[in-house]
Amino acid sequence: MVLFLLSAGLSLIFGVMNILNFAHATFWLLAGYITVTIYNYLLGYFEPGFYLLIPAVVAATAIMIVVGLVVERFLIRRMYNRELAEQLLLTFALVLILGDVIKLIWGVENRRIFVPVTPVEAFGAFINPYYFFLIGAGLAVAIGLWVFLHRTKYGKIVRAAVYSREMVSALGIRIPLIYAGVFAAGIGIAAFAAGIFSPLLPMALGVDIDIIIQCFAVVVIGGFGSILGTFVASLLVGVVYSFSILLWPDGALAVIFLIVIAVLTWRPWGLFGTELRS
Amino acid sequence: MCPRVSVLPQNTFARAYRRYGLSGVIAAVLAAGFLLAPLIPGQFWIYVATEILILGLFAMSFNMLHGYMGQISFGHAAFFGLGAYATGLLMRFFRPSGGEIGYLEFFLSLLAAPPVAAMGALVISIFCVRLTGIYFAILTLAFGELLYYIVFSWYSFTKGDDGVQGLLPPPFFQDPVNFYYFTFAVVLAAMFLMWRILESPFGYTLRMLRDNQRRAAFLGINVRLHMSANFVIAGAFAGIAGALWGPFERSIAPGLLGWQESGIAVFMALIGGSKFFIGPMVGSAIYTFLQAFVTIYTVYWPLTIGLVIMMIVLFAPGGTLGLIEDLLKRIGKVGAAAAEQRDTANQDGTAP
Repeated sequence: MVLFLLSAGLSLIFGVMNILNFAHATFWLLAGYITVTIYNYLLGYFEPGFYLLIPAVVAATAIMIVVGLVVERFLIRRMYNRELAEQLLLTFALVLILGDVIKLIWGVENRRIFVPVTPVEAFGAFINPYYFFLIGAGLAVAIGLWVFLHRTKYGKIVRAAVYSREMVSALGIRIPLIYAGVFAAGIGIAAFAAGIFSPLLPMALGVDIDIIIQCFAVVVIGGFGSILGTFVASLLVGVVYSFSILLWPDGALAVIFLIVIAVLTWRPWGLFGTELRS
Repeated sequence: MCPRVSVLPQNTFARAYRRYGLSGVIAAVLAAGFLLAPLIPGQFWIYVATEILILGLFAMSFNMLHGYMGQISFGHAAFFGLGAYATGLLMRFFRPSGGEIGYLEFFLSLLAAPPVAAMGALVISIFCVRLTGIYFAILTLAFGELLYYIVFSWYSFTKGDDGVQGLLPPPFFQDPVNFYYFTFAVVLAAMFLMWRILESPFGYTLRMLRDNQRRAAFLGINVRLHMSANFVIAGAFAGIAGALWGPFERSIAPGLLGWQESGIAVFMALIGGSKFFIGPMVGSAIYTFLQAFVTIYTVYWPLTIGLVIMMIVLFAPGGTLGLIEDLLKRIGKVGAAAAEQRDTANQDGTAP
């Protein structure tokens, strides 16, 4: 699910803005650290519990949306008409810079949140009920995004921008505004993902580097700009990854990349993408 | 049209500039610098200089794809790593228990690297040349990562995560200065070969593929064949750089094939200036020297290089050499304008 939430933002940003954001997972990691910090701050005043996570996640998401807007305004906006290599390098530079900023502020120790839970019995096993919440939250975001993109006026504008930004701009819609919104929304979803997953995944330096590569795989397999494709692909990657860990522990990621290679060779625009940009 | 550098004295420098462009001049300056580098006291800087040369060759081989063919490969380190592993494993094959290796075996091990890297590149290129742009970048990334995980997990053959240690070159090359000059000679020869390839009709075809692939196809050029050939050649050059890496570092690890190693080549090309033949070598000099210097004082090297890259991308998209060329042009223009003014003044007869 974390893979889906991250990839959805990545896919949206690439589909609309044509910018591949290497730093996406780094923003996610930053949001995770912020959530943990706010949560631990709140612990000083309240009883620990699940409900404390809600203000922490909301605050972290809000902060990251602002960060996203600032980054878009001052860095990404200058890159729209640049060469691919420069766009990639700028976001990669962000990975390095933000990674070290995290190291400067939070140090090198892993951070995580402990939320008291009582396991529930389901399907004959004791399961942390939080997992159900996570699956629900992921599904809610997926459905929400889909409804937004396919059923609202603004979603239609965003989808139109995927196909032809010149035409959308000719119709009097302010493209930079849409781009800023999409970028911030993508980062907001990533921040939300980081927040709700913080009780399960410890935040550690370098995790972003591992996860962004998997996100690229998901986005490529699903097709850039397709929410449904991203959803199916993250399920596929997650399941394949889990099963190949059983069979070939060290090479599980190699299997994922084999799928990526197969998809790129056979359908470069992804399983659910359209051929437009190939 | 005045020559761009009319203000410069009519000396060898200006002539060399006109004949070989900025790359030639910078190459001459760099070559002189590298020849004299061992005069700097302390072994540390010898190692840095060797590293600059090896990574510079690696970055230049990447730039054959980027600067000349217009594609970004995020898996170029795969060939660097393949070359390193070909040499390293052969050296291990000749001396299973480690320790010194004979001269003949050493050279054989080195020679094995380019063909192995080229074979790898050939297989990968069959898939990659069908795509361009971002898809090319991601597919090369995927192949690079695939090879990385194969090397990483094939413990019985590659020693996996442990890497291969104790790759001791023969006695003569154990001296850092000797190894440095050996590296210098190899890199120089490779660069000369690369220059000949890129200045041949083949090299100009690549430039056309960069500028307009469709038009090239209309002219009857086999686009995929040319891309594939260049991919293989670039892979072989990366293999040469990789071959030198093992004996230099005395060890190799799977990380050499990873995408972050590929990223280093991209950084170097962009820092130096990917539009120039010598650009990646300049980038390597800046990157490696900076890294050696900064890491003495602080652990925040990624922050430093991240800021440097951001500045380059935002304010000097042509890289360092692009900046220098702009500056020279501006001086040239100022000089030309001044000369013109003098001429008009002379015609008026008002000035001496």
